[in-house]
Amino acid sequence: MGPSVAAVLGLVAMALISILAGLFARRYSRTTSDFMVAARAVPPRVNAAAVSGEYLSAASFLGVAGLVMQFGYDVLWYPVGYAAGYLLLLLFVAGPLRRFGAYTIPDFAEGRFDSPRFRRLAVILVLVIGFFYALPQMKAAGLTVETASGLPYWVGVAVVAVVVVTAVTGGGMRGITLVQSLQFAAKIFAISLPAFLLLLHFGGPGTPFATARGQLVRLPARTTYRVTGGELWQLPRATSLDVEGEALVLWSREDPVRAPGAVTAEVGDTPAPASPVRGSKHLLLFGNQRIPAGTLVWGGKATVLVPKGQPAPFGSTTPAANTASWSAPFGPLAGGSGHPLLFTYSLILAIVLGTIGLPHILVRFYTNPDARAARRTALMVLVLLGAFYIWPPVFGALGRALDPSLYGNNLTDAVVLVLPSLLGGWLGQLLLAVVAAGAFAAFTSTLSGLLVSLAGALGHDVYGRWLRPAASAHRRRIAFQVAAVGAGALAAALGLMVGQFDISVLVGWAFAIAASSFFPLLVLGIWWPRLTTRAAALGVALGGGTATLAIVTTMVATLSPQVEDFLARASGLAVILAQPAIVTVPLAFAAMVLGSLLRPGPPPGVAAKLVQLHAPELLGLRSDYIPD
Amino acid sequence: MRPEGHLTPPPPTSSGLREFSEQTEVGGIFLQALMRRQLRLSLGVAAVFFAFLAAQPLLSTVWKPWTRWDLAGVPVTWVVLGVLSYPLLVWLGRHYVRRAEEVDEEFTDLLR
Repeated sequence: MGPSVAAVLGLVAMALISILAGLFARRYSRTTSDFMVAARAVPPRVNAAAVSGEYLSAASFLGVAGLVMQFGYDVLWYPVGYAAGYLLLLLFVAGPLRRFGAYTIPDFAEGRFDSPRFRRLAVILVLVIGFFYALPQMKAAGLTVETASGLPYWVGVAVVAVVVVTAVTGGGMRGITLVQSLQFAAKIFAISLPAFLLLLHFGGPGTPFATARGQLVRLPARTTYRVTGGELWQLPRATSLDVEGEALVLWSREDPVRAPGAVTAEVGDTPAPASPVRGSKHLLLFGNQRIPAGTLVWGGKATVLVPKGQPAPFGSTTPAANTASWSAPFGPLAGGSGHPLLFTYSLILAIVLGTIGLPHILVRFYTNPDARAARRTALMVLVLLGAFYIWPPVFGALGRALDPSLYGNNLTDAVVLVLPSLLGGWLGQLLLAVVAAGAFAAFTSTLSGLLVSLAGALGHDVYGRWLRPAASAHRRRIAFQVAAVGAGALAAALGLMVGQFDISVLVGWAFAIAASSFFPLLVLGIWWPRLTTRAAALGVALGGGTATLAIVTTMVATLSPQVEDFLARASGLAVILAQPAIVTVPLAFAAMVLGSLLRPGPPPGVAAKLVQLHAPELLGLRSDYIPD
Repeated sequence: MRPEGHLTPPPPTSSGLREFSEQTEVGGIFLQALMRRQLRLSLGVAAVFFAFLAAQPLLSTVWKPWTRWDLAGVPVTWVVLGVLSYPLLVWLGRHYVRRAEEVDEEFTDLLR
């Protein structure tokens, strides 16, 4: 996909709209309460649009479609799980959390247990989760701008950082509420309209399933690939290749799906080119040749033409599955693990539970006037997310039929940005601009929410509560703004360094840490009177700590071959380290429950706290933890 | 600094409300009853959705034929998971919000 004027125009338009809306909202944001919780006056419809706008990040807008294109049916658990998280949020957290009436999740941690030390622990986790979640958004920004305009990666990161910091320092929570609801509208329009038109134009939803059921994808047109040295191709069948000049390749017959290192065990693993396996041999390719099925590693740069109707070559990141196994349950994603049913269940659990612990999402429920509005907000979010999440799989499935060259180029992540141009003419260009604008809205809206959460943790929790409890309201607001600039700059700087990690994997890690720390804290803190302060803190530290540790180990493994070798031998351990929620969430719960039962003694005043959490507003007992 | 975390109730209008807001033993029983009803409602709704999710991989394991059914060219498995999940979520959410508000209202009437 080359740079496109239309896509650049789309990006610029969305950036301008976001900045203008942020500046417009600046006029209405004055008090600390405006900045932290939009003066607790956001009606459910607006808040639901803002929550959805914030939640639908680059992983949802670009990542899900790319994963569906790669792995098929099994990926549908991701969007469904992302949406289902809000059902659980509605059922167990939204109403009581709003009644508590704090500014941040650390406020809840301190207030519920009367423990300032608990706040500090919670602040650290808010910062860890926030930065983990911010990095992939920065990466998506850099990549999208790079693909759309040909400008270097850092330009995208810098532009997005400026847009987001402007909106957050200008209007705080109140400002970004407006910006995020606009961005939600942009995203749902940008995903549904092109997908709908593509379906109409290319023969309905059955297209990707009908064309080659039970067979491998074939190229719908003659395709030119530009390969570089070390690039790996899987040829699922004998394939005709027309090499310009000549090229040296290492070819092996080994079934690519079982060749060690040739495919990814987990979504997004960075695979090494297959080490010379049994029966491999060097071939010198020139002109038109038929290469037998197998794996080949290119020896250097080359331009390769593959004629129309040939089986599409697959790159290193996607297992070369035929359409029957791609479209059926337990395909290349879940089936590859050896325990497909177990894998699927743990995947569902991790995705659904993660949402409930995300601090930047939870704070949005403090912006509603009361618990009734908070519940209705969560319900509206379910409606809006459902309307959105139907579409990314459509893109992914169509991508398989319409542009399988993305497999060989390892560009499945860009499928949403690429497909609209297949409509051709001015319509294709217009839609290209629309999806580019949607992608820009996706990472800026999530980043601005994260920045409010990070700036709130630093400006409100660390400065206003911990370091200078006596600071005036004015100074607290300044602290919030300074923290927003600092956190934005730091996130941008870190964003320049995460190029080699996969977007959805990074987001998954933020989910795992949140699911193992704040999720048990909120559920037990709200519903279980006997929870003790010590046990709750132990659970949060243990769950959040082990999840972070597991993830950092996986990150180190990506960078260090020795650790990666060790993990490759202990495959069960590697799976758990990469997807730790299945172990760390029960661990955190167990620590909280056992700790409270073995050394009973809930914090004093727990009855008053529970009244605050559960008493219906109609009783008129209402009092916010931070009255404003 | 403002006082935090304290309830500042208006003069209670009934003995039930007073017991409740002052967290006497009787008030504690009221609160426990309210929390139990709300929690039972939430767990019930959550169970329905988790059963819907969990049943699908199980069905695909024990009874393969359903994975080969088509609806207008699209596998039924895709339609059930990728499309029907969302209306089900909204329906369950709406059911919950209605029932939870009813529970809150009944509780308020009880204390008034």
